[in-house]
Amino acid sequence: MSVSQTLRQATGEDAIDGVIPRHAALPESPEELAQILADASRDRQLIVLRGGGSKLGWGRIPSRVDLVIGTEKLNRLLAHRHGDMTVTAQAGLPLAELNRRLAEHRQYLPIESAFEPATIGGIVATNDSGPTRHRFGTPRDLLIGVTLAMTDGRLVKAGGTVVKNVAGYDLGKLVSGSHGTLAAIVDATFKLLPIPLASTTLVATYADGNALAHDVAVISGSQVELSAFDIRVSNEGRGILLMRMASSPAATAAQAAEARRLLTSTPAAVTGDEERSLWEEQIRAPWADGGTVVRLSWLPSKLPAVAALISRIDQSACQVSTFTGRAIGSGLLRLEGADSAIAAAVGVLRQSDDVGHVVVLRATPGLKSQVDVWGSASGALDVARMLKHKFDPADVLNAGRGPI
Amino acid sequence: MDHRVVEQFKDAVGPEAVLSEPVQLVTYECDALPHLRSVPELVLLPRSAADVQAIVRICNKEGVPFVARGHGTGLSGGALPVPGGVVISLAKLNRVLDVDIPNRRVTVEPGVTNLEITRQVAPFGYYYAPDPSSQQVCSIGGNVAENSGGAHCLKYGFTVHHILAVEAVLTNGDLVEIGSTLADAPGPDVLGLLVGSEGTLAIVTKAVVRILRKPESVQTLLAAFDSISEAGSAVSEIIAAGIVPAAVEMMDAVAIEAAEAAVHPNFPPADTVLIVELDGPSAEVAELFAIVEAICQRSGATRVEVAKDEGQRGRIWKGRKAAFAAMGRISPNYYVQDGVVPRTKLPEVLGRIRALGEREGLRIGNVFHAGDGNLHPLICYDERIEGQSELAERVAGEILIYCVEAGGSITGEHGVGADKKEFMPKMFSQDSLDVMQSVRDALDPKRLCNPGKVLPTPRLCGEVPGPYREHPVERAGLAERF
Repeated sequence: MSVSQTLRQATGEDAIDGVIPRHAALPESPEELAQILADASRDRQLIVLRGGGSKLGWGRIPSRVDLVIGTEKLNRLLAHRHGDMTVTAQAGLPLAELNRRLAEHRQYLPIESAFEPATIGGIVATNDSGPTRHRFGTPRDLLIGVTLAMTDGRLVKAGGTVVKNVAGYDLGKLVSGSHGTLAAIVDATFKLLPIPLASTTLVATYADGNALAHDVAVISGSQVELSAFDIRVSNEGRGILLMRMASSPAATAAQAAEARRLLTSTPAAVTGDEERSLWEEQIRAPWADGGTVVRLSWLPSKLPAVAALISRIDQSACQVSTFTGRAIGSGLLRLEGADSAIAAAVGVLRQSDDVGHVVVLRATPGLKSQVDVWGSASGALDVARMLKHKFDPADVLNAGRGPI
Repeated sequence: MDHRVVEQFKDAVGPEAVLSEPVQLVTYECDALPHLRSVPELVLLPRSAADVQAIVRICNKEGVPFVARGHGTGLSGGALPVPGGVVISLAKLNRVLDVDIPNRRVTVEPGVTNLEITRQVAPFGYYYAPDPSSQQVCSIGGNVAENSGGAHCLKYGFTVHHILAVEAVLTNGDLVEIGSTLADAPGPDVLGLLVGSEGTLAIVTKAVVRILRKPESVQTLLAAFDSISEAGSAVSEIIAAGIVPAAVEMMDAVAIEAAEAAVHPNFPPADTVLIVELDGPSAEVAELFAIVEAICQRSGATRVEVAKDEGQRGRIWKGRKAAFAAMGRISPNYYVQDGVVPRTKLPEVLGRIRALGEREGLRIGNVFHAGDGNLHPLICYDERIEGQSELAERVAGEILIYCVEAGGSITGEHGVGADKKEFMPKMFSQDSLDVMQSVRDALDPKRLCNPGKVLPTPRLCGEVPGPYREHPVERAGLAERF
């Protein structure tokens, strides 16, 4: 099949920050994907790779997009080796669908997304994660192998299907967080975990930010092992800690009892469907409704300073409508207000010594024209650019939009 | 080496930091894989990142190949010197720079040993998780280069999961920070590429590592089995029960015999012993450990010994961790491999290895991480017998092929190095290898940084292939192997 037959005119539905691509392609095989990439790259067409499209707005405004390549037809679960606790899935398979199928063998990939359509490829490309990163890390920590389509049309593999393997360069790690700037992810292999037999979440509420920070430090320094440890600020401005313990039933109960003993606040215990909804709400809250979403990180010991910083921003011309995150160092802020006020708030965050890696994830084109969404330069990005020059010499992949 | 270049090195780092006497150089001719040897032209002993930068700049300008070296405990010839090149020993960059307990981070120079990090933080109830068997002596820089594992990586992951950031000297001499002490640095995970790149992309001069709170409880048992398949089915059942042990190790009769001869761990007589360790909150460990014990009994264990205290636990681990070195007690020479197979393929591949040993007339011991399928076949041979060294090398290669055929890998934690690079095409297509080469060319365009490692190349001129042969210095009684 010639590539031109697989292209279609793009429509308004394919728009990225209001820019409508010229063409769209939905390859049906890895070979076809690689061929489309090679042809487009040779012709210096600017390419955006798209999974479920749920995070397509992350990045700078494109000057133009010639071709958007969707992976929705590369959506097969290639192998669930349940005895070995590994899975290989094509890039276009939605994470939620994958986890539904892994559950048949009481296993799961411990990554959460706020977005139902989020795909495996998009999860790896953004290295986006949820509350269970507290225990199991981000997608890069679970990824053990990858197949990539390079801009010259080669299909290459790195890593493998075994959980322990140091042969060759780990290109899977390299494309984690690359936002489609180095190569197209064709499939990915992950190590899996058994679904815990029992789970309880303790919810503790604080009027005083220092008391909350004190309890975060106490729990972090204790031998209570949490599978998730989140914070959020309620609508009333109260701090909330969410602590999930997931293990065998007796162990879960004992852990919850120990955590209660250590906390200065008396927590409520939530289980079952109520617990599930609580976490779904926690994951989705920053993305609900409109507003700008900003990601930021901090050292665990800086939590009180971070709380003070956020409350200062809330008292400025822009309003903090949601603050959620991982208690020991990563969060999402939802900001509302005029573009200029939000741009000023982003500037305040970036100037602060208490937080770092301030990235604007969701923003209006107006705001994006006022702030660089990715923020500061780094040595790692310089090295990444040296690699991009080899991987994408025509500089067509996510050109001008991605972090490199 | 050109005298002019030697003088430049002396000017840059001081004459005392430049070793050039043959007797000094011979110490650096190999790492812990002694059958690959090559004497470097010079050994340089930088004391700071600035020294490393100066050295690398001279190498870059003069076209001198360089090999970074930690404490030389690598098992794949990753620190094998390059003919005509220099070795940059990071042993003197050995300071612990910062211990930050509230943020659970420790910053060290690359020459600090793995165990030293745990020593620093143990008084506060913390530890550094990756625990290669050589942890008392291996350097953190070497661990970063090799992405070292250890017995406990089934639950806790490898070095790459515990390094937050590094400072590194690029091949042009630039000093860069890669990674971040904070989460979510935007952009491609260059740190993840660098960890495990076997010293071929940059030289790490500082590392920030994550430390973990010591688990509340640790329980260890040793179960004896009459067959490897019974032990294997016990492992499968443990995993199927949804239990993720901290470690699952297996030793066969040959390895048990060697360990007994060397460190007397008093293992029960058995065809196979299985060591299972659980750690975590006390209630969890107690509950799951009872299940593990029952599974071992049900799978046909002839004996199950539970470590009652830290002393007994230490004894079990001593037997396991000493197994490599102990092989010297039962065989004049041995060859260690590091292949990985999917856990479910363990019985099949171990059967093939046993048959191979019988067919070729070599004893092969097996000590391995059963939980993650990482084999360490120990191929016993006697170099004094004509042709046996070559036979051992061929058998070792055959085992790697079995691992790849089973869907596994040629190396789980020792690295490809100089030892296994010729097997890379068994795992990866030429296109994949070419793209890996392009990664290297991007960061090391002059191909001076640890050349001849990881990716297959024709044998380097002057590099002596094949198993270890006695060195002239040894023959003359001036040095001995240890």
